[in-house]
Amino acid sequence: MSDKVQSPVSDLTGAPLPTERTLRYRRNLAVQSWKFALFNARILRMVLRGRH
Amino acid sequence: MSDVVILGAGVAGHTAALHLSRLLGREHRITVVSPNSHWNWIPSNIWVGVGKMSKQDVVFPLAPIYARRHIRFIQAKAVAIRPYGDAESDRPAVDIVHTSPPEDGREERIRYDFLVNATGPNLRFGATEGLGPQHGTTVSVCTADHAVEAAGRLRGVIERCRAGEHQTLVVGMGHGTCTCEGAAFEYVFNVDNELREAGVRDLARVVYLTNESRLGDFGVGGMVFNEGGYQTTSELWTESLFRERGVEPILGAHVERVEPGTVHFETLDGTHHALDFDFAMLLPPFGGVPLAAFDRDGTEITQQLFAPSGFMKVDADYSGKPYEQWSASDWPQTYQAQGFDNIWAVGIAFAPPHQISRPLTSANGTVITPSPPRTGMPSGVMGKTVALTIADRIRRGPRAEAHRASMADMGAACVASAGANLRTGSAAAMTMMPIVPDYTRFPTGRSLDDTRGELGLAGHWVKLLLHYMFIYKAKARPGWFLIPE
Ligand SMILES: Cc1cc2nc3c(=O)[nH]c(=O)nc-3n(C[C@H](O)[C@H](O)[C@H](O)COP(=O)(O)OP(=O)(O)OC[C@H]3O[C@@H](n4cnc5c(N)ncnc54)[C@H](O)[C@@H]3O)c2cc1C
Repeated sequence: MSDKVQSPVSDLTGAPLPTERTLRYRRNLAVQSWKFALFNARILRMVLRGRH
Repeated sequence: MSDVVILGAGVAGHTAALHLSRLLGREHRITVVSPNSHWNWIPSNIWVGVGKMSKQDVVFPLAPIYARRHIRFIQAKAVAIRPYGDAESDRPAVDIVHTSPPEDGREERIRYDFLVNATGPNLRFGATEGLGPQHGTTVSVCTADHAVEAAGRLRGVIERCRAGEHQTLVVGMGHGTCTCEGAAFEYVFNVDNELREAGVRDLARVVYLTNESRLGDFGVGGMVFNEGGYQTTSELWTESLFRERGVEPILGAHVERVEPGTVHFETLDGTHHALDFDFAMLLPPFGGVPLAAFDRDGTEITQQLFAPSGFMKVDADYSGKPYEQWSASDWPQTYQAQGFDNIWAVGIAFAPPHQISRPLTSANGTVITPSPPRTGMPSGVMGKTVALTIADRIRRGPRAEAHRASMADMGAACVASAGANLRTGSAAAMTMMPIVPDYTRFPTGRSLDDTRGELGLAGHWVKLLLHYMFIYKAKARPGWFLIPE
């Protein structure tokens, strides 16, 4: 590794971290069931809207 | 009777074959030529690659399904196309080489009236010295067998962590022109999850090494999301996830070579680096599957049909114009090969007109830009679209209008699961519409209603649903055609 520059890892300290509440939402069964339905509806809408 | 020959039984070819078997009567012959006896739901190879699924969960034999659908299946690889026929006949033909005993190695020439090239990617591990499971020291998840090997090696790393050793795991792209960043992104978070479940995350350094110049590019130039009334980017969204999980990104990297335990790479600023690893899953660049083409008198015309990358040239704009002039209309709509009204290339096999991400080169002139992804959803749609065109041409005559499905008009979903537990799993789930941004229709290139990123358990359920749904569909079980591509 000696003749090479140290690995240039990106600095992510400016990236937003989720709050405790957001993390809880990401696992909450009721919230996620709703998101699941929405996601599937969106995929279906894309399939139907796509001009093919 | 018409002879339809489909080369490849992956997402695009298999979809085309099933739809043709539904659309055409038995008087026409549908033939699928593919070197593997099994179908593989490739997106779930990620779970095989961390040991959460077995190979049997993601593959199944094709022959019984094709027998049921009255499709002729030849286990062979295509090696040459003769679109004008040969000295014997003016009927076009494909040269194939059988790949299963007892016929293994036998060459045959089969005739076609309509040909679909759905041969997918040639996994070009050889483009980077020391890359890949066969001749190198890195693993891959591109095939189910590769993924099984990756899972074994990962288990070894986890065991060593359990014994108190620090380990470095590198996941990403093995060349500056790779595509399929979504797969590496998904794998890195599954690896992170495995390490957490094993209680050894603190002993592992996880690095994501990518040719993307920014996180969240995914080979589609990144996305703009509408989040809480503000426009935000896939870059910020992805950075947040990497920070939360402690995965270290190295961006704009072209892997130059891999030595046992060390990956050497160049970054966009022109500097060269070396990174030591204990485990590395690096995807290869994709090229077209090597297929030659010949005139009737045997003169080679490969360049007429194929781009230098080996992908087949279709109804796209290959003029090589500069980035500033790129537009959504450069992308193919019918997938019909240039100069032939009876040949199509679908899925990964067609030559894209250009990248979607802004093309970049390093200070030394090395190209470090993701190639455009052609993921499962568009590959399936293309397969179905071409099946509809062929069925119309057979039923209504050669002048029947071709069906259209441009990647600038269709959406894609990329669901990167991270953990496979129904209660504790998670996923980064993205939808984009259209895949190729169209700035004439949307100020941000894509619809803000349909282009979204979500993190959470729901995405994991979606990924599981897609796994079972697409395997059900690929097995042509009752009502399979009602499941969208
Ligand atoms: C690890 C991984 C994860 C992925 N995850 C996702 C995801 O989550 N979502 C998503 O949408 N997409 C995903 N993709 C991309 C998706 O797998 C591809 O878009 C899709 O498989 C492309 O379909 P295809 O038919 O063009 O190629 P393939 O599915 O690769 O099929 C190609 C077929 O051609 C056959 N073939 C090869 N050579 C020849 C020859 N000479 N003659 C005849 N046949 C030949 C092959 O055996 C195969 O049957 C992932 C890809 C990878 C590698």
